[in-house]
Amino acid sequence: MTITRTTDSATAASSAAAPPATLSRKQRRALSKPPKHLRSNGIAYAMIAPLVILLGIFVIWPLIYAFYLSTYKTYYNKPAEFVGLQFYKFVLTDPDFWASLWVGLKYSLMVVPTVLVLALLLSTFIKTLGKKGAAILKTTVYLPTVVSVVVVALLFVFIYQDTGFANWFVGLFGIDPQAWLNTDASALPSVSVAGIWMGFGISTLILLAGLLDIPESYYESAALEGANWFQRTWYITIPLLKNVFLYLLVTGFTLAMQEYLLPLIMTNGGPVGATTTPNLFIFNQFRDNSAFSFTYSLTAALILFIVIGAVSIVIFKAIKSDKAVDG
Amino acid sequence: MSSRTVMKVLKALVGLVIFCAAMFPLAWMAIAGFKGKEEVLRSPFQFFPDMWNWDNYRAILNDPAYLHALWLTFVGALIFTVLSLFINSLAAYAFARLDFFGKGLWWVVCIMPMFVPGMAILVTSFVVVAKLGMLNTLAVLIIPGLASSGQMFFLRQFYLNMPMGMEEAALIDGANRWQIFTRIFLPQSKAPFVVMGFGSFLAYWNAYVWPLLTVGDSPGLTQIMVYLGNYRAERGTDWGLLMAGSTIAALPTILLVLIFQRYITTGVRLAGMK
Repeated sequence: MTITRTTDSATAASSAAAPPATLSRKQRRALSKPPKHLRSNGIAYAMIAPLVILLGIFVIWPLIYAFYLSTYKTYYNKPAEFVGLQFYKFVLTDPDFWASLWVGLKYSLMVVPTVLVLALLLSTFIKTLGKKGAAILKTTVYLPTVVSVVVVALLFVFIYQDTGFANWFVGLFGIDPQAWLNTDASALPSVSVAGIWMGFGISTLILLAGLLDIPESYYESAALEGANWFQRTWYITIPLLKNVFLYLLVTGFTLAMQEYLLPLIMTNGGPVGATTTPNLFIFNQFRDNSAFSFTYSLTAALILFIVIGAVSIVIFKAIKSDKAVDG
Repeated sequence: MSSRTVMKVLKALVGLVIFCAAMFPLAWMAIAGFKGKEEVLRSPFQFFPDMWNWDNYRAILNDPAYLHALWLTFVGALIFTVLSLFINSLAAYAFARLDFFGKGLWWVVCIMPMFVPGMAILVTSFVVVAKLGMLNTLAVLIIPGLASSGQMFFLRQFYLNMPMGMEEAALIDGANRWQIFTRIFLPQSKAPFVVMGFGSFLAYWNAYVWPLLTVGDSPGLTQIMVYLGNYRAERGTDWGLLMAGSTIAALPTILLVLIFQRYITTGVRLAGMK
């Protein structure tokens, strides 16, 4: 598996160097370290300093500060007031927050499975191609991922115009023109088409990297036994790529749940909140200058972070414990 | 026809369909740029303009505000790319090869940010840069995003896999760590640097929300994506012109992909690790 190969070989190297298991963990750690005089504290600190300082100021401190501020009510004209976890309660009992979570979930359910199926089909197809054809298609599917979300959003708004491409296309099948982005039912699916277009390429390439790691002999012997393409995919490809799939599923869901640029530009969350994803909800709260919307928005962002983080950790732990069995 | 040629033709056809599906929206955007105001959304629908004219492209490139945004974003992206490569590669080397007091703790400090989503710290990051007096400067666009746990992690893995031999020989010859880094490690870092540099350039070039909040449309600092985002609200919907502007804004990253095609596989590994 390409994705985890680097970490695998790193652990393999460290375990190869490790002394017999009879030593305690502490002793082993002491042995694997070079003696004190070989340490290079000065230069090492100088080398990590820029990174540590920048991360400290612009990521770690803002995160701590966010947790701190989420327990205060801030006023324009008087000092902030400590309110404990009150804002967490506000957010968690706000139907609008739950509505945005629901929208985010629906969006993820439309985007992630579609992207995974597309990626599986495309990567198995690209694998059968010659060198040149594969190279062309790899570049082609990669291109949508490097185009800015802003450009993609504008482009799809253009496609969804009343006399635009989308209406012409469905017209071919005898369907009447739609108000894609202005109808409750079609707005979110329309946005998710743009999301799918942006996401399928990189997933295809990640899957392809995993596919190329499966020994060709597996397929050859299966073909000898008379297995057809579907059987080979079902019994060889999918089981062996289970970890890559789970990885794509988890990262896909965490990214899709956090998507907000597409709906921000395409629909600004409308019509009537139909495309207000969780982060768009939070972002709009932040921009909305009403009382306490500032604390409210950062509290909601922290809650989302904790929930998504906890879910991914649980799933990744499950994958990791699986790997030992999988080889 | 033998069944092999049939398969070949079939494969070429499927390949063509995939190619079109991936490229169509981009092509459609570029074609719209060649259409006049009346024909860009005309009914009945037509694929190609009556006459291919460069008017929209010429017009948008003659718009000083657009051109300035394009140029400024490009320069900013270059500075951002160089600085982030420098900062992240230094730390990657230190974590891969040096031993120092509290290494494990510093490692956690440097890796943890990889798991913090942007939105969780967007509000307070804004407060921080505001307090530092960085709003409406070029610095606020460049400095906060320079340090990248993901890129550092990626490069550290690469350095961990590099053979020790040359380094040990250089150490015996009396070279110091800095010389080893600049003379042995940097020259061998081309592939990961291309991938990381492309990632940085892309992140800066495509950024929207951060520049929107911290710089907005303050004169002379508007970034290209903010310019495009504001365009619709400010100038109504001249779709031909807007699509021409979007096409040009998408070109640099597309060209970079085409130039560095052979690094895509390495790049996928970076994306796969994040």
